[in-house]
Amino acid sequence: MIGAAFSITLASAQGGDETAFACLFRDLQPALLRYLQVITPEAEDVAGDTWLQVVKGLPGFRGGEEAFRAWLFTIARHRAVDAGRSRSRRPDVPLALTEAADQQPAGPDAAELALEAISTRSVLALIKTLPREHAEIIMLRVVAGLEAADVARIVGKTPGAVRVTAHRALRKLADVAERTGVTQ
Amino acid sequence: MPGFPFPGRPGGEHDEPLLDMIIARRALPPDAPQAMHDLARMLAAMAGPAEPGELAGEAAVRAAFSRAVSPAGISSAARRPVRHRRARRSRRRSRSRVRLATAMVVAAAGLGSVFAAYIDVLPSPIQQLAHVAVAAPAPHGSSSRQAATLGTARPVPRKVQPSSRPAPAPRHSASAALTPSEGTNPTPHYRSPFSPSGHRPTYPACSPAPGHSPHQPPKGSPGPSLPPSWYQAVPCTAIPSGPAGQPTLNPYVP
Repeated sequence: MIGAAFSITLASAQGGDETAFACLFRDLQPALLRYLQVITPEAEDVAGDTWLQVVKGLPGFRGGEEAFRAWLFTIARHRAVDAGRSRSRRPDVPLALTEAADQQPAGPDAAELALEAISTRSVLALIKTLPREHAEIIMLRVVAGLEAADVARIVGKTPGAVRVTAHRALRKLADVAERTGVTQ
Repeated sequence: MPGFPFPGRPGGEHDEPLLDMIIARRALPPDAPQAMHDLARMLAAMAGPAEPGELAGEAAVRAAFSRAVSPAGISSAARRPVRHRRARRSRRRSRSRVRLATAMVVAAAGLGSVFAAYIDVLPSPIQQLAHVAVAAPAPHGSSSRQAATLGTARPVPRKVQPSSRPAPAPRHSASAALTPSEGTNPTPHYRSPFSPSGHRPTYPACSPAPGHSPHQPPKGSPGPSLPPSWYQAVPCTAIPSGPAGQPTLNPYVP
């Protein structure tokens, strides 16, 4: 969070100050990338598209830091949905033609996770084991720091439903972490 | 209700306040369950600072930003609303110009038609229509006269045969008030200079020169014979008296 200096930073970025824009990028990119890693396999590409969209719409943006975060993650979700659609239209490549040896497993094994120390990557892998809806709401509420109303608008639910889902997701995450020993 | 347990529901609903504190990134109380503390640490790690590689796309994004804020980039992105505004304004202007031109053309056509109707150069059906609509002269049906009028843009006096055919009826009052010297019609339509109501004549008339009978028009006068009352009413030169104070013979002065 940039905090009190956000309005100045935003105004400078809107005025063409590249350093101010870089400040916004560095503040938000980690949470954005982690959120996208939960909802799409093409997280880095989608993050790049998201920032390009932000660059285009930045002169017309009005609002505070919360609104800017909500705007950024809304764009990211739309871009992720678009990427998923274009991926589904692409023809499947037979497994024999791919270099299967170079492929990493889709999700980390819980036993492997237990061996790792607590790190961003291991927790992210743990969150990925949750149902998609739960994982997304955790990322938006906790990692991105959005309000329940903003999350509700992004995922198309009511704020009450978002709150209930977030609680359920956190309980499940605590349960999984306890079983796998990630937290130890 | 925060902090109030719900014993009838499955699971640990009593931990909702703690979950809300984790979501809000607030510090948990020391007596909170260890699982909650572990969860809070996990999520704090998730919301931590950037790890190596997570900012790898910064150079590309900064380059895109630089392109966007450069004059060429601004022209394509930031100037678009202005361009749209200008285009909208010019479209509105051209629309109003077209409307104005159309209105001017219609007005010119209307005025031209009315003018043509009044100088009697329109074809007969249209002239008749104009006669009914805007009180233009009635059509005569003479194409030669129309052609002549079109050629000279001046009405040509009509030759009337001194035959038994009656003279055409006057079309309107202006044509009926012909002076004696106008035209060659032997029976011009004179109008009495005095209106029936006794008003003043429309033009002054004097009596004939001395030596002429006041009751007869002068010989050789091209004018027609006037009614006797006319001559009696105008006995002399009919010029008001001068400064000598002679009584005036002006018939118009009571």
